[in-house]
Amino acid sequence: MPIVSIEDVIKIYEGKVTHRALDRLSFDVEEGEFLAVMGPSGSGKTTLLNLISGIDMPTSGRVLIKGTDPATLRPDDLARFRRRELGFVFQDFNLLRMLTVEENIVLPLTLDRLPVEEMDARVKAITARLGLGGILHKRPDEISGGQEQRVAIARALVHRPSIVLADEPTGNLDSNAAREVLDLLGTINRENRTTFIMVTHDPIAASYCDRVLFIKDGAYYNEIHKDDRRRTFFQRILNMLSLLGGNVDDLSSVRLP
Amino acid sequence: MTFRQFAYRNVVRNRRIYAAFFLASVFSVMVFFLYSMLMFHPGIGEQFITGITLIGMTTADIILYVFMLFFLFYSMRAFMQARSGEFALLLQLGMERRQLGKLLLLEMLLLGATSTASGIVLGFTFSKYFFMIVRELLQLSALPLYVSWEPFLMTAGAFFSLFLLIGLLSAYIVANRDISEFKKGIGGEANPFGYSPGRAAAGILLLLSSYGAALLAGRVNVLYLSVLLPPAATLGTYYFFSHSVLYLLDLFRDRKSLYWKRSRLVSLAETAAKLRDNANMFFIVAIVSTVAFLSVGTLASLATYTAQYRALNPLGLVYESFPGNPHEYEHVTGLMKELQTAGLEYTHVPLTVAREESSFSGQPINILREGEVNRLAETLGAGPVNLRPGEAVFLPYSKEAAPRLKDADIRTELEESGVDVHVKGVVGGLLLPAYSLGTNSIVVSETDFVKVASVQPGNLLRIHAFDVPDWEETVGIGLAIEQAMVMSEIQQGEALPFYYKNPGLDYSIIRSTFHLLLLTGLLVAMVFLLAAGSFIYFKLYTMLDRDRRQAAVLKRLGMTEREFIKIVNRQLIPQFFLPWGIAMLHSTFAFISLQAIWKEFADISILNEMALVLVGFTVIQLLYFYLIRWRYLAHVKGPA
Repeated sequence: MPIVSIEDVIKIYEGKVTHRALDRLSFDVEEGEFLAVMGPSGSGKTTLLNLISGIDMPTSGRVLIKGTDPATLRPDDLARFRRRELGFVFQDFNLLRMLTVEENIVLPLTLDRLPVEEMDARVKAITARLGLGGILHKRPDEISGGQEQRVAIARALVHRPSIVLADEPTGNLDSNAAREVLDLLGTINRENRTTFIMVTHDPIAASYCDRVLFIKDGAYYNEIHKDDRRRTFFQRILNMLSLLGGNVDDLSSVRLP
Repeated sequence: MTFRQFAYRNVVRNRRIYAAFFLASVFSVMVFFLYSMLMFHPGIGEQFITGITLIGMTTADIILYVFMLFFLFYSMRAFMQARSGEFALLLQLGMERRQLGKLLLLEMLLLGATSTASGIVLGFTFSKYFFMIVRELLQLSALPLYVSWEPFLMTAGAFFSLFLLIGLLSAYIVANRDISEFKKGIGGEANPFGYSPGRAAAGILLLLSSYGAALLAGRVNVLYLSVLLPPAATLGTYYFFSHSVLYLLDLFRDRKSLYWKRSRLVSLAETAAKLRDNANMFFIVAIVSTVAFLSVGTLASLATYTAQYRALNPLGLVYESFPGNPHEYEHVTGLMKELQTAGLEYTHVPLTVAREESSFSGQPINILREGEVNRLAETLGAGPVNLRPGEAVFLPYSKEAAPRLKDADIRTELEESGVDVHVKGVVGGLLLPAYSLGTNSIVVSETDFVKVASVQPGNLLRIHAFDVPDWEETVGIGLAIEQAMVMSEIQQGEALPFYYKNPGLDYSIIRSTFHLLLLTGLLVAMVFLLAAGSFIYFKLYTMLDRDRRQAAVLKRLGMTEREFIKIVNRQLIPQFFLPWGIAMLHSTFAFISLQAIWKEFADISILNEMALVLVGFTVIQLLYFYLIRWRYLAHVKGPA
């Protein structure tokens, strides 16, 4: 049974100009899969993430996560659902500026009222693994972008969610930091069997995934699966992107992995 | 689009940012205008629009002006900080610094012109009501509305020059900065973790010791305290907001079991950040609120003074005739006639007073006659005294003096007449207030009085006491005598051989003056309040983007709506009520010391008035808090 299934989802934004962000989109994500979603600007990638996390409700169709439709939950249950099942990684990290690194990481746990010893243990474990031990008491302003994103990842993982949603996690990082972050995500995906759904523009980032889903104008366009060598997988992603068209400047400058 | 249109649109389209600022400015212009209307009233100098009214209004206007100067300057800096990103963009687009300065000046002038005009229009609209209230307070027969150019010109000139000054200042500041400075943001976000432990401790110590000293007031030298306390408390308050609060929060942060608990993590850290960011403003708000509470409270307590006035002045009218006064008969019959014409009931009790030196104290002492004092006591409903020759009782000069004199037991010789008297006990009740006789008076028996009086028959004082049940109605009685006394005082001529006192008239003047000052103080306090609130609102508004982003992150991390509102509450409450609470504490302790000082003068309890003032302000603040929380929540949760 897929952990996430999107069934014929349509999302229409009413406004001065009615905008159809998602158009009968359907796909499944298996447990433990690392999925990349690609598409030109305005193709509905971020809308998709918002629907999966229950921030937004579909106009028609259904989103099922572990068999639950977030649209049917009451607001408090939805919040509880998010804090237990989902983790978020953002493009601009979105660490809370007034909290230290440690406090940022522990934040999702405090919401769930865990005992302090448990929280301490979990923070210790995750920070050791992500190599953040030395900067626990620094503020977000005092660390580098790559470190900030690693802190954000620690925050997304500390409560052991089943699905992590990442919105352009490497968009604000230089190539070295980006590679580190992607390696990290890949390792966690393999070792913890955590499901990742990552929205990205970057073909390099996408080449770290098991499967890449392409959407265009809110509709399913195509998908390709990983093969043995990342270099050829990367080349196939590039080919698909050029087929997809869209704005060329959306693509980050080509860097080989 | 011309340059001027650009400036205009900048303001009009940012109206939500400027709304609270505009409101505070308009209100203060309005109050300023109302005071000016009264200052320039053609009826001033006549009736009872006395010098005090004029002084009160002028002072209030000056306070308003100075306060607005600070308020505008501070707001302007906050605006510039909020818009520094926009300025950087404009400079990068190729705008000259001079042009940017001109833009700011134009915007400020536009804001100034509109708020001054609206304030004056509003003020003129409400001036009729304002005059009605003033007329009621001053108990004038009429206070007609008038139209004259002076108040308009003064208000417009004062405020326009103010806005011009601030506009020029901001133009100057902006012309002397680099793009990179704008990008960083003027001032920038302060480090929420930074504080100095030494100053944190100093803040707490200064405040505690000031409070302690305030409690001891009355026992320690009052002058000493009044010089030392305000600066100490002010410095303490400053350190408290900029260091001590952060220190206390940090103590809390070290205890994970308390701190790592649900939404507390975010709300405490957020509180610390906002407090640190706005420490200066909170300090100003706390001090301004303290001053406002204190002035209103003091004025309110002066108003109670009038309530106790009657107790101090049991008689309707008092006319004292010194030896050799040719006008005595004429004046007294005149007063009686006037009372009759006014239709007021009265009882006339003449008293004869001799004055001799007491061998006991070496001081002059007033000697009154048993029969006459008993008549007066009967009129005022007090018990009579019964004296045998050689006996005497004290005539207390105030309620408080009576119990002290009661236990006195003195034998003394009246030196001029050589009469020995044994003074023991007091006359029941207060018959003659202190001003008419001074503090040292005794009543002797008829026999002794005749002896005393016969020694110096030409040197006797006559007091004509009038008991008037409707004593508040005596405002117009004896104006001619009053006039003569005022004239002689002005001309510094010879001392008059008579003294006249009309407590009803004095009461009405004291009462109305205090009430007028109270009204003035209340309006000024309202301006302070509105300005402080508008500042908090503005600060919240400038941080809105950041707060909104943060709210979105927290929502994704799985924070429930309820927890989010709790966070907002926890960060708004300190912003509203911490400066408030400190101001309350300050004023409470200041009142306690004031009460102690007050007691030395007039023995008046100001507790009730103070409580009323503090409660009233708290209610207004609560309303304000809910209003702004409502707006803030709507904005933060709303679409970006």
